[in-house]
Order: sequence, then C-alpha cells, then structure tokens
Amino acid sequence: MPVVEARRVTRLFPMAAGPIAALRDVSLRVDAGEYVAISGPSGCGKSTLLHLVGCVDQPTSGEILFEDRDVAVLSEAERSRIRLMRIGFVFQRFFLLPMLTARENIELPQAEAGAAAADRRARTRELLEYVGLADRADHLPSQLSGGEMQRVAIARALANRPALLVADEPTGELDEQTGEQVADVFDRVHADGTAILVVTHNPALAARASRRVTMKSGSLVS
Amino acid sequence: MTSLGLAWRSTKRYRVRAVLAVIGVAIIGALLFDMLLLSRGLLDSFADLLSSSGFDIRIVGSEGVPIVRFPIDGSTRLAADLRALPEVRDVVLIRVERATAQVNGRTPRDVTLVGTTQTGGGPWTIVKGTNLPSASSSSDRCLMLIARRLAAALGVVPGSVVDLSVRPAGIASALPAIACRAVGVVNFAFAATDEDSVATTMIALQDALGLQAADADLVLVASRPAVGSAAAVRAIERLRPDLRVYSNEDVIAQFNQNGFAYFRQISLVLSALTMTFAFLLVATLLTVSVNQRLGEIAALRALGIRRARIASMLLWESALLVGGGGLLALPLGGLLALALDHILRQMPGLPERLHFFVFNWRAVTTHLVVFGMTAAAAAAYPVWLTARLPIAETLRREVVG
Repeated sequence: MPVVEARRVTRLFPMAAGPIAALRDVSLRVDAGEYVAISGPSGCGKSTLLHLVGCVDQPTSGEILFEDRDVAVLSEAERSRIRLMRIGFVFQRFFLLPMLTARENIELPQAEAGAAAADRRARTRELLEYVGLADRADHLPSQLSGGEMQRVAIARALANRPALLVADEPTGELDEQTGEQVADVFDRVHADGTAILVVTHNPALAARASRRVTMKSGSLVS
Repeated sequence: MTSLGLAWRSTKRYRVRAVLAVIGVAIIGALLFDMLLLSRGLLDSFADLLSSSGFDIRIVGSEGVPIVRFPIDGSTRLAADLRALPEVRDVVLIRVERATAQVNGRTPRDVTLVGTTQTGGGPWTIVKGTNLPSASSSSDRCLMLIARRLAAALGVVPGSVVDLSVRPAGIASALPAIACRAVGVVNFAFAATDEDSVATTMIALQDALGLQAADADLVLVASRPAVGSAAAVRAIERLRPDLRVYSNEDVIAQFNQNGFAYFRQISLVLSALTMTFAFLLVATLLTVSVNQRLGEIAALRALGIRRARIASMLLWESALLVGGGGLLALPLGGLLALALDHILRQMPGLPERLHFFVFNWRAVTTHLVVFGMTAAAAAAYPVWLTARLPIAETLRREVVG
C-alpha cells in the first residue's frame, strides 16, 4: 500500500537562459512503513523530488499521488492539511521557532491541527521522552546543541502522527557522532511503522534505510 | 499558542528593534495626536469661551460684524423689548470704547473700557475685591473692575480711584476724565494677554462719554433653556429684522469656515505626513523581519501551518508595535501639547483663556482608529510577501544560502 507515489514526474525551473530540468521523468513509490534513502551528488534533484513528494511543490508534468489522492487537483488549503496531518518534515537547518521552547515547538503543529491542550501536553511529553529530551522541554533552541535541535525537530515532525516522515539532509549540519544519534531516532520511527523518505549525503544514514535510491542529473539511476 | 502569543514572543525576541520601533511610533504618534488636538482645539476653546459668558446669542448693528461693531440705536428700548420675549431669559448691553486710565498724575495708559449692564458677575473672574454691584445698591456713580496686569502697573487695589478719559474711535474729542473707584481686580475672559481692560457700568460709561444715554454696540441674550438659541434667534429676527443676530453656534461656524480652516488644513496635512512616517517605519521593520525569517516561515508552511495563521501573526506583530507606540503617544502628545500651547499663547492679541490644544475624546478615538488602520496597512506588504512565498524554492535557497 503506497503512502506516496511519484509517477513520471518532471520538474522544470524557468531561467533566463531557458528552463532547467531538475527532475526528468522520475517515478518513485514509498510504501507504508518503508524507509527509503535518496543519495546522489549535489544538484541532482534529490531535494526537488523530496519537495514534490512532501506536497510543497508541484511537478511540471507527471503525477504525485498521496495516499491515492492526486495532489495536483487539491487546493492549497487541502495540501496544507495533508502536510499538517499526514507528513512530517525534518530540515537540514532544523527551522525551530527560536522564540519558542522545545515543548512549544512540538505543540505548534498539534495546536494547528486543533488538538486539545491536555492531549497536546501528553503527546509532547511522550515525544520528548521518545527523542530523549524530556529534561530539555523548557529550553529555547538557542540553549540546545545541534543534535538536540534536530531531535526536537523530529519530535515536531511526528507530533500529529504522520504516515510519512520526509527529511532533507537531517545530519547535514551535525558531526558524525550526533548524526548517529539522529539516525538512531529515525530507526526507531521506522520500527514504529512510520514511512521515511530521507535525502542524504551521509552514507551511514543511507545504509540504515530499507531501500536506497541513487539519483544523477535529475534521474533515478538505481 | 495563539497568533497573538507567537507575535508577542517574536516581538520579545527582537527586543531592541521592537523598543526602537515603539519609541519611533510613539514620537510620530505624539505629533499626530497634537495635530488632532490642534485641528479642533482652538474651535473648542473658542466655543467654551463664548459659552462661559452665560449668553448664547449676540446682537450687533446691521453695519457691523461681531468683531468691528457700531452702536445700536435705541439699545435701551431694544433690551426692554427683548426681555419681553418669552424665548429670552436675560439681556445685557455692552459697549466697548478706547480710553486712557490715570492714577495720581502718573503717565496715562491706553485701556479698553467695557461698559455693561451686567452686574454681580460677567465674563471675568475676580482676583481681588468684589464684583460690580447693582446700580441701586451703590451711591458711587462710577465703579469699575480692573484687569490684574493693569492694576499691578498702576498700583491699583480695590478702593483706589482711577481717572478714565474716553477717546471715541475716529473722533477728535477732549472729553473730561471721570473718577472711578476700583471695586475689584479681575481676569477678563475675552481680553488678550497683553490687553489692559477695565469694566464699568453703562451709566458710568454714559458719563464718561458725556451722553444722556449711551447706545450699546453689542447685546448679549440668554435664551430660555427649554426654548433653545435657534428659536430665540428667530424670535429676535422677527422683532428687529434690521439687526444681525448670531447664536454662539453661528459665530463658531463662521470662525470654523474662515479663521480656523487654516489650522484644520495644516493639521490634516501634518497628520497625513506623520502617519506616512509611522506606516513606513513599521512596514520597513516588518518587511526586514519577515525577510530575515523566510526560512522559518517556509518551514512553518511545509509543516502545514496555514497562511492565515502566519498572516495573523504578522498582523499582531504590527499591532503590537503600532499599538504600543500609539498608546505611549497619548501621554507624550499630551505633554507636548501643553508645551506647544504655552508657546502659541504668547502670541499678542489672544484672549488669555483661549487655548490651541484642547483635549477631546474625539481626537483620542480618531488617533486610535488611524493607528489601527496604519498597523493593518503596514502589515499588508509583509503578509502579501508570506502569502505568495514559494515554499520549496525558499527552503532550497535557505540551504544553499
């Protein structure tokens, strides 16, 4: 049962000198509970594919089906709702809100989803324990290390129990040891049944995926 | 967390910038508030001054205007006829002449001599001594009230005798001086700060003019409250169509159209300018702030946070900066208005009780409404910027950057 499926998607970016194809006729399917890693050189279209699958961008041609719904026919509000409830995003630069504590950052998507305050608190406590940061709940991002911030970002991404976790170079800003800790969290998320699509240059992280995909010049090569 | 809560945290995060913005808006807002006070202040103060006399209708001869007046023939008879009208509660005759005042052979001083039939009170406040008594209660032929400044200059206290010589305008005359006894030192409501005035009875003024009966050049009428000034004006116009009859509202409306229109126009232009500055200040700060946070905002959108929520947060941020500055502007503007009013009232020829800046709730309401609109307008561009933010492209740019 696919969570998300890209069917022959092409993504062109208009440029002054003419359009550049970031993706050419790419097809990819991520099944429920699957852990897929995409690797490849910089500029090969990994992040572009991730953005299409994560419903933050639209292909120039081809189809993106999220849980069997054609994303192209959905309104922005509906895509936003899918991102909120069914997809969790983890970014290379964390993008935690710097004025909110770890707890508040994790509560934010739950509040947006309309969760009751008591449920939010319980879920946030559970997630902070899950990523090993229960004692850092009231710390601001500026008071956390890079690895801790990324773990808070993972907890935030999991806040509304998504079907798919998408991560764009989640260890890109971390040293090897801290990257390992983050990779451990991904393993647990995968073990708990959440599908993961991760874009990474980190071979150690890619090696943990159940399926590895390599891209080159906007196409899947393996 | 609500949008307001997020906006508050965001404002606190950039504390120095927020404080500077609030101070900037407060200073601009203080100027706006003062412009609003100025646009109505003189008019309100003038209306207050007119109504302080206790009379709501003014009658002048058809040749004159309320400022430059000529005597009204048969004004004593006119007063009697007016008193007989059911719409009228009280009538006072006034005549103003130029005169010289002299005490004990000292250098005479030019004064404004006001003759009035009003006793036991009038458009003045007693500083020392008493009011003019009614004619029947005094054996003195000429009693007078003297302005405080003039009294000090001449060394006059209640009981002092002052020689008054009337010098009718445009007439070469050598009227003899009459001796008047000062009964009170007063502040005249209508007198300019640099004007030396004395007030006496119409009978004393007749004596000073060497006439059997002096005609008034201004008749003040108080209408009966149940009737109102408009009805009383109509009744007086029916009685004496040859005279010009003005209610206080008419006088204020005339000044509003003529003399005060300049103040209104100036304050309108300056208000528009100040609000443009406030708009530019806050819009620039918010735009810079949004541009610094594009990655954050794109990430929030990627996480499924709605555009409306982010727009609402920015609107609140704008409201906090503009609202904080706008509220601070009220006391600041009040203090500034006091200082400016003090400076402007030094101008020669202005009645002492006239103010340029007068507090009124309408100015406060307008101030708050204008600031609310400015906050919304200042947030419009940053909100538009975030609403059309391409999420994927921004995230890509943030990583590459």
